[in-house]
Amino acid sequence: MPLEFDPAILGQEFDRAVSEPVTAEELIDFARALGETHPRYVEAGPDLVGHPTFCLRYKGNKFYPDSLPKNINVRTGFDAGKDIELGVPVRPGDAVEVRATLHEVYEKTGRTGRMYFVVLRLTLTNQRGEMLAVIDNRFMHR
Amino acid sequence: MPAFDDVEEGDELPARELFLEKDQVRAYARAAGQWSPRFTDDEGARREGLPGMITPGNMSMGLLVTLVESWAGPGCVRRLGTTFRGLLLPGRRIRLCGAVTEKNASARTVELDVWIENEDGERPVIGTTTVALR
Repeated sequence: MPLEFDPAILGQEFDRAVSEPVTAEELIDFARALGETHPRYVEAGPDLVGHPTFCLRYKGNKFYPDSLPKNINVRTGFDAGKDIELGVPVRPGDAVEVRATLHEVYEKTGRTGRMYFVVLRLTLTNQRGEMLAVIDNRFMHR
Repeated sequence: MPAFDDVEEGDELPARELFLEKDQVRAYARAAGQWSPRFTDDEGARREGLPGMITPGNMSMGLLVTLVESWAGPGCVRRLGTTFRGLLLPGRRIRLCGAVTEKNASARTVELDVWIENEDGERPVIGTTTVALR
């Protein structure tokens, strides 16, 4: 069934959440799990920052907006990829605000049939209003 | 760390080969707030129809950033885009790879293709990244 939806749903914010302040220990554990050894990422102190992909752990409270086209079965999706644009690094004590919008919805037909893609955009900022990252999460549904 | 002027299109990053331990994936899942059977437990993953526990896509991206930063220095990555084409299974050897595809002189950035290869030479994770050089 072809996708039919009101384009006005694109770009609408459907969720906003603010995290508890991040700790140095969380940043260090994350970096170490990637095998990272650079002091910038694994040594507590004033110079410690989060690994660039630490931002990927943040989500809103709501996974999908209510306004998705009805022919997308949200129970059958999987993670098809991500794009991340990086701003300033996460630092200990940062309270990260996540704003979620439905960025794009499209379909493709491949060898295995029709696929629907949903792109959620998460914009992350810290308590100073600085941009930490813009993350486009691409999910595929059959 | 390479200087912008010393880098040429077609240059390959030194590939990093490693054995991706299941315990490392579990440690990542715990640290990243992704503690789920599919990332932590073979039996639990099989119950979800998977061949065994898998590596989170986000972890694949983190590993690719470690590759790029070991080449160009910490804080050099401006953007990373990835496509997850297949399952990256832990408990096996993987190779992290990259190559320069384009130079932008005004911004002093380079574009790279990056990818992860498994033991069969397949590339379950591919991507592109923008990297700032001095």
